[in-house]
Amino acid sequence: MELLEADTDIIANTADIVAALRAIVPDGVVSDSAGLAAFDGDALTAYRQKPLVTVLPRDAEQVAAVLAYAHAHGVPVIPRGAGTSLSGGSLPRADAILLSLTRMSRIKEIDYDNRCVVTEPGVTNLSITRAVEGRGFYYAPDPSSQIACTVGGNVAENSGGLHCLKYGLTTNNLLGVEIILVDGTRLRLGGKAPGARGLDLLGVVAGSEGLLGVVVEATLRILPKPPVTRTLLAAFDTVPAAGQCVADIIAAGIVPAAMEFMDRRCVDAVEAHCAPGYPKADGGVLIIDADGIQAEVDHAIAAIADIARRNGAEVREAHEETERARLWSGRKAAFPAMGRLAPDMLCMDGTIPRRMLPAVLERMSAMSDEYKLGFCNVFHAGDGNLHPLIIFDVMKPGELDRAEAFGAAILRLCVEVGGVLTGEHGVGVEKRDLMPDMFSDLDLAQQQRLKCAFDAERLLNPGKVFPTLSACVESGHMHVKDGRIPFPNLPRF
Amino acid sequence: MPTHIASNEDEIVDAVMTAREWRSPLEIVAGGSKRNYGRAVTTMGSVLDVSALSGIIAYEPEELILTAAPGTPLAEIEAALAQKNQRLGFEPGDWGPLLGEPAGLATIGGAICADTNGSARVKFGAARDHLLGFRAVNGFGEAFKAGGKVVKNVTGFDLPKLVCGSFGTLCVLSEVTLRVFPKPPLSTTLIVRGVEPEEGFTLLRKLWSSPLDATGLAFSRGNALIRFEGDKDPLAEKCAAARTLIGARDVIETPEGEVAFRALGRGEVFVDEPFDVWRAIIPPAAAAQLASEIDSPLWLADWAGALFWIATLPGSDAVRDAAARAGGYATLVRADEETRERIAVFEPEDAARAALTKRVKDAFDPMGIFNPGRMWDGV
Repeated sequence: MELLEADTDIIANTADIVAALRAIVPDGVVSDSAGLAAFDGDALTAYRQKPLVTVLPRDAEQVAAVLAYAHAHGVPVIPRGAGTSLSGGSLPRADAILLSLTRMSRIKEIDYDNRCVVTEPGVTNLSITRAVEGRGFYYAPDPSSQIACTVGGNVAENSGGLHCLKYGLTTNNLLGVEIILVDGTRLRLGGKAPGARGLDLLGVVAGSEGLLGVVVEATLRILPKPPVTRTLLAAFDTVPAAGQCVADIIAAGIVPAAMEFMDRRCVDAVEAHCAPGYPKADGGVLIIDADGIQAEVDHAIAAIADIARRNGAEVREAHEETERARLWSGRKAAFPAMGRLAPDMLCMDGTIPRRMLPAVLERMSAMSDEYKLGFCNVFHAGDGNLHPLIIFDVMKPGELDRAEAFGAAILRLCVEVGGVLTGEHGVGVEKRDLMPDMFSDLDLAQQQRLKCAFDAERLLNPGKVFPTLSACVESGHMHVKDGRIPFPNLPRF
Repeated sequence: MPTHIASNEDEIVDAVMTAREWRSPLEIVAGGSKRNYGRAVTTMGSVLDVSALSGIIAYEPEELILTAAPGTPLAEIEAALAQKNQRLGFEPGDWGPLLGEPAGLATIGGAICADTNGSARVKFGAARDHLLGFRAVNGFGEAFKAGGKVVKNVTGFDLPKLVCGSFGTLCVLSEVTLRVFPKPPLSTTLIVRGVEPEEGFTLLRKLWSSPLDATGLAFSRGNALIRFEGDKDPLAEKCAAARTLIGARDVIETPEGEVAFRALGRGEVFVDEPFDVWRAIIPPAAAAQLASEIDSPLWLADWAGALFWIATLPGSDAVRDAAARAGGYATLVRADEETRERIAVFEPEDAARAALTKRVKDAFDPMGIFNPGRMWDGV
């Protein structure tokens, strides 16, 4: 994929920029080549680029000052949390300031009476739950990188996890933010009182991939921890049987806490890797969690087991915690298991209507032959979020390109069957060029006008999300179509 | 006032292009149940009637997805979902009678644009947590789409969130896709009787902080109302556990609570009263404080104390200050036109926020064609 060309004029001013940032954050500027190497990318590992300079502010005032400086001097800014983005959401640029929020890592307030936590953006996802679990609460969104990824990054990417169907994504568990606009303006959106005062700008900031502003504080909803969780594994001979089982569970009115599907290739890989002892499953396995109070969970598990058996599955239920952990160990080892088969891996992320699963898996098998690359699938079956893992060797000529082409073909397939390009990883640079496969020019133009309302100079995280970022027309008032301004003689009101 | 009738997206485009040509704004109306909610539209222009954009386009119970034209009556959607034991999670209410219109006019598009969430919001979230995608026409006369038709999607900016509660000021919806939820077979309401507000709100928050998943936590005239839903055995366990948390108080248990919650979500108690009606939204722990400060002939609370419906003498804006002191904000839901002009219906914005709001409005509708002035001057 082509990365945007760096602006050599900005690079020529590096010394001035570094000096200005040092004046704002005296103890938090990294500008030497070795230091910058630590910031040369995120979890989209195929792309590496050192930033112009990295600045690590300690508080909101410093963030505002950095942005105001960058805005005044026309220098792009890439916000970054822990750098765990799988879509290259925080991939640096040679001509941009990398704004790392990791030193703003304080939980500011735990308010049990209002069931929320007020936190700085650099706090890790898991530490929110750690901070409140002693009182029986937790923070629901649980991306698999939760030990490392930060709240700020979660808000920017609208991160999900295994439990989205029942508990929602980040945006559904976010009450408010303090955001700093590109010119240094500080704004509070939302707060401990639910809902929006006026337009729901919080709703568009969540998931905006760092293009609209920099989050310096978040107010997160915490939930009472369900007292009981039970786990069941169902092994299927065919993919359609597994798909039908999922549909039947949903149709029966059950919303499982998690419902994970692993295809046969994935089951084979994890058996070879850590032997969780899954039954033979040519069609793949479903791992299902039900949570809640005892009677609720008992009722759900009995119903799920019944539905699974009616769909021809071999069902195993975990009766104790160690067994539960063992059933989940295979799912959690899916990445490392595939990693043993080849040196490199691309983790894709798209969403499909659940009923399309059998057809999509079949098409992907054909693609695997065509691109001559191995793959397997894990699938958040409850919400239709598909994660194909493509394995390749970057040292073999052409394999990275083939892997990317295979991945792009899969995501186009997701769109073709009525789904979307990304369920939880974000667009970033990875899926940027696929946006026109899902959105028309008019759809994208509307999104870009919103970008212009927040960041008319397009300084925040340029090169992400949009394949081409057309210039913001002054104050967004005019739309030029086919080179003609509509009603050119009209005064604007 | 001339009326354009649009029965499909192309006709909305035509109406918008005409409005642009003649620089004549549009008041967008479907059922018309909430036409008196918000400021009077400052227009010498036309009405754009989209009630003919009606009907369910696709409903896939196993995908938990429903796509409908925005003018579809709420009642039609609720009936279709009920047939498959499903429902809308945000429990939107018909506010027609509250606002002086007949019942049964409310549409799904109106519920989304006016963000009319009911009691279940405390558990399942607001309209914005359920609108997955939409099609619409912007103020440039361009038909566009946003979001998707699957439950989990982070592709591009989340414009569906922005449309919820935007009162038709950004675009004219032509299609909406919602996630839907299973409808539990049974519902039981516990009513704790004879409690003071402070004690009542403490109880409601205690239940809200428990894993019992109440789907309604309201307070009305000395009664705390707690709704649970589910299958028979789980429901019995929840009620028993709730009684333990409630302690030795006067509690009755009734399957008829649905009626009370339905009335609550529609503000029914205010329908025939001669008062203005406000909704104050606050951090729930401030509920007792707000209850003690308001001077109201009639009020009730929902969402574990985060939402107050408050009647006031006509023309008073005391609720707004009281809500602000409690850490929240207030919306004037019902008052005469002069009052809605004089007292801001929606929370006034400071300069920085108002400037951003205006830029966002301009990103969709720079000529100010849609519902001008409905929310604030110029928006």
